Amino acid sequence: MDHFFLLIWHAFLVAVFFAFLWRTERRLQIRLFLKTFLIMVVGGFLAGWLMYPFP
Amino acid sequence: MTKKSQKKLEEPSIKPVNPVPPALLGAAWLVPGLGHLLLGKKTRAAVFFGVVAAGFVTGVVLDGEVGVPRADNPFSWLSTIACAGNGILYLARLVWLNGLGGLLSNLPLGLEGGGDPVSAGFGYGKTFLVTAGLMNLLTVLDASDIARGAKS
Repeated sequence: MDHFFLLIWHAFLVAVFFAFLWRTERRLQIRLFLKTFLIMVVGGFLAGWLMYPFP
Repeated sequence: MTKKSQKKLEEPSIKPVNPVPPALLGAAWLVPGLGHLLLGKKTRAAVFFGVVAAGFVTGVVLDGEVGVPRADNPFSWLSTIACAGNGILYLARLVWLNGLGGLLSNLPLGLEGGGDPVSAGFGYGKTFLVTAGLMNLLTVLDASDIARGAKS
């Protein structure tokens, strides 16, 4: 099981959902999707690295 | 009291809102996206159905447990509420795991939630199931806003 793929898949679903829930214009939807997706993926990746030293 | 402030008191700034039919909210909860479909928002309906269904199926495939209430764990009620947000997907999963007779006779504290705690995907699966349920609950609120005229 690829944990990183699951992170990407979860971020994708959530980002698509909120883009359509909170924005109606296509350009703004794409912008919110990219913003949410990147924050979740990069944030999750960084949180993983920050937790690395802890048992 | 000045004329201006008196006028302000007489004319409340809150606009009257349309009442929301309970059946619409029930439909929006039961089938993800149905509320938006009934309101004529076809694209959003399709996207919400796709996203919630994909999240739910991913959770089940990863051996996640759907939330069921447990007598010894008060937090299980929170995951039950979140997972119950999946509507018919949640009910179908419970029937699949418990059978219709078992579902009715074991309510509310003896239900089987499925999933394999030993599986590597157990935690991830539950996360997907909870996320999908919460997203569907948000679509119910969104459908309510649209029906009230507070949102387009």
